[in-house]
Amino acid sequence: MRKTRLRRLSKQSLLPVFLFLSQLIFASSHREAPLISNDPLADNTDLYAFRSPDDPNTVTIIANYIPFQLPEGGPNYYTFGTDVRYEIHIKNKTSTAGDDITYRFTFSQINQDPTTFFNIRLGQQNIKTTYICEKSTNGGTSFTTIVPNGTVPPANIGPRSITTAGLGLGAANYNTLVQNAVATATSTEKIYCGPSDDPFFVDLAGVFDVGNFRPEGNTTNPTKDGLARYNVHSIAIKVPISLLQKDGKDVAQAANILDSDFVIGVWASASRRQIKTLGVNGIPTYSGNFVQVSRLGMPLTNEAVIPVGSKDKWNATTPYNNNDLQFAPFFTNPELALYMDSSQFGGAVPSLNDLRIQTRSLGTYDFRNGKPGLYVLKGSPALAGTALDDAIFGTILLPDATSPRAVDLLPIFYTGVPNLAPYQLATGKNNNVLAAGKPFINNFLPTLGDMLRLNMAVPVTPRTDPKFSSLGIIQAAVLGLTDPAYNGSTMLQFIPNMDGFPNGRRLEDDVTTIELQAVAGVALAAIGLWYDDFTGTGSPVTNKLVRTISFKSGPTTNDTTFRTSFPYVQNPWRGFDYTLKARF
Amino acid sequence: MKKIINFSALLLAVMFGLQQTVMASSHREAPLISNDPLADNTDVYAFKSPTDAEKIVLIANYIPFEHPAGGPNWYSFGTNIRYEIHIDNKTTTTGDDIVYRFTFQQTNQDGTTFFNIRLGKENLKTTYTCERSMNGGVSFTVIKTGGIVPPTDIGPRSINSGVGLNSPTYQALAQAAITTATTGERIFCGPVDDPFFVDLGGAFDVGGFRTAAQGARDGLAKFNCHTIAIEVPVSTLQKDGKTVAQAANILDGEYIIGVWASASRPQITTLSTTGAAPATSGNWVQVSRLGMPLTNEVVIPIGSKDQWNGTNPYTGDLAYASFFTNPELALYMDNSQFGGAVPGLTPLRIQTNSLGSFDFRNGKPGLFSLKGSPALNGTALAEPPAGFGHILLPNNSSPRAVDILPAFYTGVPNLRPYQLATGKGGNPLAAGKPFINNFLPSLSDALRLNMAVPATPRTDPKFSSLGIVQAAVLGLTDPAYNGNANLEFIPNMDGFPNGRRLEDDVTTIELQAVSGVVLAAIGLWYDDFTGGSPVTPQLVNVLSFNAGVIRNDTAFKTSFPFVQNPWRGFTGNSYAAPENPTLGLTLPEGSLLAYPNPFRTSVTFHYKMFAPGDVRIQFYNTSGQVVKEISQGTRPAGLHYVTVDESRLATGIYFARLFVNGKGYKAVQMLKTQ
Repeated sequence: MRKTRLRRLSKQSLLPVFLFLSQLIFASSHREAPLISNDPLADNTDLYAFRSPDDPNTVTIIANYIPFQLPEGGPNYYTFGTDVRYEIHIKNKTSTAGDDITYRFTFSQINQDPTTFFNIRLGQQNIKTTYICEKSTNGGTSFTTIVPNGTVPPANIGPRSITTAGLGLGAANYNTLVQNAVATATSTEKIYCGPSDDPFFVDLAGVFDVGNFRPEGNTTNPTKDGLARYNVHSIAIKVPISLLQKDGKDVAQAANILDSDFVIGVWASASRRQIKTLGVNGIPTYSGNFVQVSRLGMPLTNEAVIPVGSKDKWNATTPYNNNDLQFAPFFTNPELALYMDSSQFGGAVPSLNDLRIQTRSLGTYDFRNGKPGLYVLKGSPALAGTALDDAIFGTILLPDATSPRAVDLLPIFYTGVPNLAPYQLATGKNNNVLAAGKPFINNFLPTLGDMLRLNMAVPVTPRTDPKFSSLGIIQAAVLGLTDPAYNGSTMLQFIPNMDGFPNGRRLEDDVTTIELQAVAGVALAAIGLWYDDFTGTGSPVTNKLVRTISFKSGPTTNDTTFRTSFPYVQNPWRGFDYTLKARF
Repeated sequence: MKKIINFSALLLAVMFGLQQTVMASSHREAPLISNDPLADNTDVYAFKSPTDAEKIVLIANYIPFEHPAGGPNWYSFGTNIRYEIHIDNKTTTTGDDIVYRFTFQQTNQDGTTFFNIRLGKENLKTTYTCERSMNGGVSFTVIKTGGIVPPTDIGPRSINSGVGLNSPTYQALAQAAITTATTGERIFCGPVDDPFFVDLGGAFDVGGFRTAAQGARDGLAKFNCHTIAIEVPVSTLQKDGKTVAQAANILDGEYIIGVWASASRPQITTLSTTGAAPATSGNWVQVSRLGMPLTNEVVIPIGSKDQWNGTNPYTGDLAYASFFTNPELALYMDNSQFGGAVPGLTPLRIQTNSLGSFDFRNGKPGLFSLKGSPALNGTALAEPPAGFGHILLPNNSSPRAVDILPAFYTGVPNLRPYQLATGKGGNPLAAGKPFINNFLPSLSDALRLNMAVPATPRTDPKFSSLGIVQAAVLGLTDPAYNGNANLEFIPNMDGFPNGRRLEDDVTTIELQAVSGVVLAAIGLWYDDFTGGSPVTPQLVNVLSFNAGVIRNDTAFKTSFPFVQNPWRGFTGNSYAAPENPTLGLTLPEGSLLAYPNPFRTSVTFHYKMFAPGDVRIQFYNTSGQVVKEISQGTRPAGLHYVTVDESRLATGIYFARLFVNGKGYKAVQMLKTQ
């Protein structure tokens, strides 16, 4: 049944695009492209989408903007731009060309006391920001206002500004301001727009010094979270699943925990008016159409997959209409793979020595850049009925003999991964990679564009579960392959962390590590395309596989906790006296 | 003196604009510019070079809060911005006399990588053109093309190793980027440590100033910025082309320059729909400017900050005078206003009853009660044409027109009453000991420097980050200087607000100034003076006050460009995971890794033992000759490191092979480079 539907999709919407697929690349997104790095207000840094742990009939989507906000960055503390259109885009079906749901946020500011240079004084707040949220459910054709006058809390400047009555705002505490700012839309979503701790974590100094990674726990040089003690501005919405599911179903109506009808694709953007005209005193006016200047679906795409020559273009492009296919070569032959390949620059990046791509998996398959990968199977009857069959998605996944990662990285970023052979765990495959195995993911929504794809039917892993892991789906795969609780059958069952990245993205997920492991071929290994040191007998959990899944890119957790209820992101660091932590 | 009288006629026309005034370096100081970091002018410095009495160093900093690890697109100058340093050296012209203009270009040497630097190639590689105008901007001459902006100091792999630029040190890149213009100036444009220091978290929490003991911390610590530094001969800047050696004395009024910097953008920016660089057109519009530190940070209120940045100081600054004559900060040093609400400023209390008569709190008359008095004859406070009373004593509710306004808008003349109380015999209007003359009355915000004043050596025990305030203290209290009213060099007369040195603690100096310390220096003592020593507890409180952070978080260079190299993003040793086993179905017993590779002088071997054994590492050339053997003795299983000096080897390819118990493992190839 499902296969029939997929086949139809492949013929109708996917066929025209396979010609474009000859190569591809891989990369949160702080200052990730030259142009947007100089426009912080519009810089979309991260996007999260996960089922709400304390309210599982809803999905929480968080889009963060404005990187590297110094908590004491006064006198003009950071806030949303008034000339920027911030949007969260949701796709829930392939039968439409563009957004199925769009949330649009527009901000306004006033100075309550223009006679002072302080941001807050005597109960008055300058650059006080409010917003309107509009929603479209018809691809942007029309919008309905669902929050007419939302409040953005001030920056958490310090005790005098926030909690001192008379002198400052006299709030009971900063958290009160945040809670009071959580709005309920006329269409029932919960919404929060305001400053928060930047939940992302990465060793910026290590990653970008030509790959000078410092894994957490190494004894040579302790890793540093380059985003520690910085704030961002979050747009967080908690949406009932029935509002996101294409047919209005709630999760209780799902056929199973990987029901394809419950997949959504999410991306966020910022747009500015095309023309900015400076007045004689430097005060600008804006005119013309809105032009997209920043976008983000999958984390790190534009940071470490798209090369510098194409980064600005990436930000201006929507993931629809096959626009993203021009970037496909950066995924099918990713730059990062060069640093995990001893025949390329692997020897020059010793900090990635734990990661080495399969050069002869199962004695045959070479997934290094420019190599055939699984293309040697092209045309083989063995592919019949699998996703690799040309009658299904073979034209996308096995386009030619030099695009080895079209089979794993491309679908992770551009289509999601279907619950079809060979994209099932090796558990139960009896060494035949093309056989049916244990299902572990289905976030397939084949629009051929970069989005964060989430199957909303997958249950939530409690954050207190001992098996909860920041490695997301990779850890689900590890458990499905090795944990006796899950590896005894090919039965579809919930494995902890099936709700983790890249099936959506939780705040805790260590996406940098997950993506590096993915480039190193860990998803291939999970489905039975083992590492070179697997001899065909014995455990496939070889030294190389252990090294890959043990690899850490740097810090593995945020520098503070997350909240247990909406908006989940933590309150911003307080400028006056936050505890210092080295960032580099 | 005659010249000053002529100036007064010029100034008469502007007196009507003076009703009130305010005070504040300039990081994210106004709403609009806080969202345009590339054009955000954060600080301007102008000081006599401590290494050459005939040179002035001008430094304009841009782009605040640069994270040293802020990749992958590290900060650099904008390509659609005009960065300018403006110099005024005479009042007979209505605008700039000299302008230095910098424009930047960028190129990607390898557009196929997301790294900023890789394999000797640099992306967003930035160069610049410097033009100079000596006629107020009517015409410009190119004085440097192809100037090099060094890359950010990303880390050892990007800067020092063969996978990067292979430079021996970052300093070598910074030094190589210093250039000499065709007209003799030395120029450096590039990333540096941000030399400014201030407790941002305290200051802007409604004046939550704290001492170091109370937790004050430098909000700019370990951030970089981009600097434009130029070292200019005094004879180029002096209005008649004179050298310092030709100055009449160390306060010669002919040697004063006013300096400010700006950033401008084209009037119209049109975004591309495909992510191409935006198209720009139209005239250049000033979007950021800075002369005196902190003006737009803590003097100009939020309702006027954006306009301040767009204003031409020569024609527009009088509109803001009220923020200086009755500064907002003064409200927090005045118990009848908000003084009680700002305990961090308790040591600072403005004179309410100086000499039993004069009240300098906002809205009070200050010295206005002397208006028209014959006692003012011969002083700067006399009415025009003899004096500047119309500016300095405009009305009975602008008390700080007499000190804060001139400090920012005209400079301070070496005229009565603007001399130290030393030698005045208790009469503030009498002649006293000269300590400043940076009077260039253009009625605009600029950093004014008298270039005739000698530099205080940075190693002088009397060198002080309190600048002129400390010069005044020495002139009043140090027996070496307070015995007569003669003009002599007092250490720190070359300090802020006579120009601005990198070391000067301008936040403290300006807060002290708002609390009336300059008034006290000229004999308008604090309220608790009763005829004994004028160094009363209130004066001591003011002089002992500091804003919490009193120095930069790193040293300055002792030679041009004086600002320190930028903070390095990656510090410490590079981690290396164990080398991968060679291809095959079985794991080797040992494996060897060499790094850096390529290497220059030394190489570190990193090897992994799966069992204990006797270890040797042989180093041989392409002919197979062993050029070195390192015996490690018996080693246990696990990871080991050894670093070997190979500086004597010729450049070229070498191999290293690990032997365990006599058995050789796969060799690693290494490249020794220059």
